[in-house]
Amino acid sequence: MQLTLQILVNGLLLGGLYALLAVGLTLIFGVLRVVNFAHAEFMMLGMFGVFWVWRTTGLDPYLATLAVTPAILLLGILCDRLIIQRTIGAPEVTVVFATLGLSILLQNAVLTLWTADIRSVTTAYSGMVLTPFGLRVSVPMLISFVVAMLGAAGLWLFLTRTLYGKAIQAVAQNREAAALMGIDVRRIYLWTFSVAVAAAGTMGGLIAPLFTIYPRVGMSYIVTVFVIVVLGGLGSVPGAVLAALLVGLIEAAAGFLFGAAWAELSYFLIFLAVLIARPQGFFGRRGAEVFAGR
Amino acid sequence: MAGGRANGLRWTLLVGLPLAAVLLAVPTLVSDAFWLGLGITVLLWAALATAWNISAGLAGGLSLGHAAYVGVGAYTATLLFLRLGISPWLGLLVGAALAGALGAAIGAITFRLRGPFFVLATLAFGIVVHIAAVNWRGLTRGAAGLLLPFRGGPQNMLFANIEPYWYIGLGLLALTLGVTVAIRWSRLGYFLVALREDEDAARSLGVRVVRSKVAASAISAALTACGGAFYATYIQYIDPSSTTQFEISVQIALVAIVGGLGTTLGPTLGAVVVVPLAEVLRAWLGGGPALMLYGLTLIVIVLAAPHGLLGVMQRLAARLRSRARRLEAPQEGGRRA
Repeated sequence: MQLTLQILVNGLLLGGLYALLAVGLTLIFGVLRVVNFAHAEFMMLGMFGVFWVWRTTGLDPYLATLAVTPAILLLGILCDRLIIQRTIGAPEVTVVFATLGLSILLQNAVLTLWTADIRSVTTAYSGMVLTPFGLRVSVPMLISFVVAMLGAAGLWLFLTRTLYGKAIQAVAQNREAAALMGIDVRRIYLWTFSVAVAAAGTMGGLIAPLFTIYPRVGMSYIVTVFVIVVLGGLGSVPGAVLAALLVGLIEAAAGFLFGAAWAELSYFLIFLAVLIARPQGFFGRRGAEVFAGR
Repeated sequence: MAGGRANGLRWTLLVGLPLAAVLLAVPTLVSDAFWLGLGITVLLWAALATAWNISAGLAGGLSLGHAAYVGVGAYTATLLFLRLGISPWLGLLVGAALAGALGAAIGAITFRLRGPFFVLATLAFGIVVHIAAVNWRGLTRGAAGLLLPFRGGPQNMLFANIEPYWYIGLGLLALTLGVTVAIRWSRLGYFLVALREDEDAARSLGVRVVRSKVAASAISAALTACGGAFYATYIQYIDPSSTTQFEISVQIALVAIVGGLGTTLGPTLGAVVVVPLAEVLRAWLGGGPALMLYGLTLIVIVLAAPHGLLGVMQRLAARLRSRARRLEAPQEGGRRA
């Protein structure tokens, strides 16, 4: 019983790490119809940024995250202007491979700047653990979980309660009709993309004290996050959060029962099954999976 | 269409035959092992990219899981030779058959998926195969990799010098190009073009959607596995990071896209440009900056020239031709006046 609860807690906390990444990716996917292969690279940049600030100034990683996030927002704006905007309405090969190229570019820019060495941020609270009811809960894990959930909830409220949020939803539903209603589609794209990647950067900063940092770290996340986005349904924020928690649970349970390799294998197989049986995901609208590009 | 074919034949005779003669003579012309080795690498990537192009360019399914088929070809040929002493020539055929069956299965379950969903499904498939290659240690020895025991000789596809691999690579590229041309001129080729341009319209006109896509996927997979088996006998050592890794899938796609997606000779052109350039950049700048430039090239090509270098060259040629015509026209008018 205790063990089951512990696995449940571990799974939920792990899922929480994925949630904010998944929410950003699902928004980019749903609104811009762009498969952002570079999404986890912004998380990696957040990790390296926080590492660098912490190393050079000794600033606390959480405070450093506050400084690094706006920098990544700016980088997101730049990437949107230079690359993402130009892929809209372009052939599919452009849409898929432009962000793949961006991912290779960012990964190797960091590799050049900081080398492939494995880095870590160690703080007094890195290994701190709470023990409610005899369960072990890592404090930095809990903090990043809470921030991710608050971030996701905030985004969802913004999308459903504000006029600008509704404009974003309108663009996601029908780009042309939204433009005809006087919505500045390019502006919506710009802010959706840059805020989503900034959220990924924030997540990177929050998990910097928890995990080892190296240029290819994004690779181990990006595919998992894609799995989550498809499971949750294209463009659905609550779907992405629920699917993130589900994948976290599957990973923790399968990892405990069969080992890490089987855990990964298990959710990829689930992913393939879902893609084939229900490509719109569990929460997506039917038909949303049809590619809206040229 | 008959005119196009006759035209194609004339081109083959005019350009193809001298080119073939030069290509066959390369090992006697190039004595330096480094340059010949680079040439063989170009041939391998050209063959892989051409095979990928059958699925991605002709059928319109941008696969990011083709490294899985490279792995199936490489591991099948290696393991059959290692465990049962079966010649890699035969292993190559078995690997191609296995990959073909796998490609047909993947084609059959992904044919309904469009755009990003197809890409993600093939990506997940490739990763499943990679995880298997890394963790099924009893069969693959995982990250430690497999060494081909050197029992040289033409019957084992293993040679002490690299010249024979030039000819095998040339044969492999000729095979993939030949299959591409054969598909383009066949009913299947026209079906695939119709599907790629407008699937719903093609379906309504009676194009067999499932059968065409499954066939393209299977053929592409089988040819890719041949490339994998060739790689295994050429390098004589394989591991997951050089065969099934995601980066290999990306690189195959990159070569084809830089050259010209959907064209017959584009992927080959891509390999001729990209492979030596990558080699030079790596030696000159080091791994990180070279790969940075790689990423940048990919971005620039897909944004500025989604039809690749071949597309750029064709557009330039067309412009030159029309300019030449315009220059001729006023002269004629002048004479008449």
